[in-house]
Amino acid sequence: MLRNTAAFALALTALGASANAQTADLPQADSAWFTDGKSVIDARLAQQPIAKRAKNVILFVADGMGVGTNFAIRVFDGQQKGMLGEENVLPYETFPNVALVKTYNINAQTPDSAPTAGAMNTGVKQRFNLINLGENAITKDCSTEADNALTTFGEIVHEMDKSVGIISTARLTHATPAAVYAKTAYRNWEHSAPEGCMDIASQLAAAMNSGLIDVALGGGRRHFLPKETTDPEGKTGRRKDGKDLVAEITAGGAQYVWNDETAKAAKLDGTPLLGLFESSHMKYEYDRTGEPSLAEMTEMAITSLSTNANGYYLEIEGGRVDHANHAGNAFRTVTDGVAFAEAVAKAIEMTDEQETLIIVTADHEHSIAFNGYCGRGTPITGLCYGVDDQGVKHSDELVTADDGKPYPVIGYLNGPGSVLVKQEDGSYKGERPDLTQEQATDPEYVQQALLPKSSESHSAEDVVAWAKGPYAHLLGGTIEQNVIFHIMMHAVTAE
Amino acid sequence: MIDRRRLLVLLAIAAVSPALRARAAETLRMRDLYEKDLSFSALARKLEGARVEVSGFMAPPLKAQSRFFVLTKRPMAVCPFCESEAEWPDDILAVFASRVVDAIPFNVPIVSGGVLRLGAHTDAETGFVSRVRLERATVARA
Repeated sequence: MLRNTAAFALALTALGASANAQTADLPQADSAWFTDGKSVIDARLAQQPIAKRAKNVILFVADGMGVGTNFAIRVFDGQQKGMLGEENVLPYETFPNVALVKTYNINAQTPDSAPTAGAMNTGVKQRFNLINLGENAITKDCSTEADNALTTFGEIVHEMDKSVGIISTARLTHATPAAVYAKTAYRNWEHSAPEGCMDIASQLAAAMNSGLIDVALGGGRRHFLPKETTDPEGKTGRRKDGKDLVAEITAGGAQYVWNDETAKAAKLDGTPLLGLFESSHMKYEYDRTGEPSLAEMTEMAITSLSTNANGYYLEIEGGRVDHANHAGNAFRTVTDGVAFAEAVAKAIEMTDEQETLIIVTADHEHSIAFNGYCGRGTPITGLCYGVDDQGVKHSDELVTADDGKPYPVIGYLNGPGSVLVKQEDGSYKGERPDLTQEQATDPEYVQQALLPKSSESHSAEDVVAWAKGPYAHLLGGTIEQNVIFHIMMHAVTAE
Repeated sequence: MIDRRRLLVLLAIAAVSPALRARAAETLRMRDLYEKDLSFSALARKLEGARVEVSGFMAPPLKAQSRFFVLTKRPMAVCPFCESEAEWPDDILAVFASRVVDAIPFNVPIVSGGVLRLGAHTDAETGFVSRVRLERATVARA
């Protein structure tokens, strides 16, 4: 076996040398494109899989960030850093292992975030709008919960004495974070559920008090407080059962923080930690004030969870990339996407790839699409500039459609920016508005869309998964979403 | 081919557009009134009591034949996967018009002019609690 490996390595070296000899005289050999391209091959030849048991697993999920949305984030981030943009590399795009992921649900071509997160946390696909129940469960049917409850990755690693954490910029009771600790026939049972079933916030309280969840940072305070209670930000709770779950969780020994100041004072020594930074979802990164960033929450969680010598599982969601897409507002989609990328960079910086498996992925894509033909460096949230035949950067001419008007690079197939507007007679008609670059790149701009829909929709298009660390090399090809769980399982149990 | 009628329309647009441009330059945006932490801006405090024009979108009216509506800075999408119940964003403007308002679709840009009022207020008729309002307002498509 060793001899075979040595022979293989020699053959590779020989091949590399022979490739060098064969390409040195090519007219393109001195081009930076050529040498950069070749150095990628050298790096891949040097890449060694890490085939040993993972101590820690971090699963990053950018909600609603398919291949297209990720492209927009990459270009925007690059342009913010002074590049043309297209050449930018996001922190997770350096990971050596990549796969395309099929996101459909058992009974839905177009998925929602509940069963997709459930698939990653249990290893099986699930039905639309429910979380962590087997295929015989029926959405919104409480009576089908008990016999169909699945075991989650969090529960499995908890039995291995690892710690478990969740972070989300959405409500902690929202679909993606809930999939780490909850089992429910309906994702919207966030603070109340039919008789015989437990609402999602109560399930988090139970999970924190049982020791299953050690760190939980995000939004959704209202689902933990009675409707008679006003929180420090002047918002009322939603619970009709009179329960104060924050009090129940702190009575169990956890710390509670609710803004950036109290978060800074939190003990990160392994004492259980609950952070509820907004009544509903946390703010978009662009609008953020008085609450920690996703990267700051990531740092808090890794610091606290790392105190467990047996390791941890941490799921981190950039929850509002999705919401901004739903609103047709590409600006907040990409600004929240950049905040997500910064959180990944923080996790890379704080962990050792020899012991921590990091997977970065999304749950589903949106109806986002990209117009052409735009020149290099065209502002990704703005209008399409033409290609400059002589230079590299775009020309200063706006490209126009057959109606004589310029158009944004990013469009949505449906959503509030529809060019078809409701008329007084109830019909839908319209034409595209005239736009300036200043209007289109404004943070409040809503991208043009085709079908009129109040909320833009998800799409069934693939998403990407990137991985580094122990057994990251198991990620590859085009996979079903539930395979993510099996990679994590193999990594934490490998002999 | 531009026929006579179309030419007249074009001329009319050309005549109107400088006025439109002038109005656009003076029209405030919601973010001119609020700071990020939702406190009022210095401009908002300066303009309190004055007649101002603010651009935005008309949220779907709470009831028909009303003189009241909510101005939002982006179209007020109803997102079943974001919100389990209807709720207002924090940064809105309550508009109390002089006359019953014709509903304008939620995604059509509008400009509303009225007297700017700051500070918490509960409307006696609708029960709507607002922090900033336009009173004696008019509304037009932008």
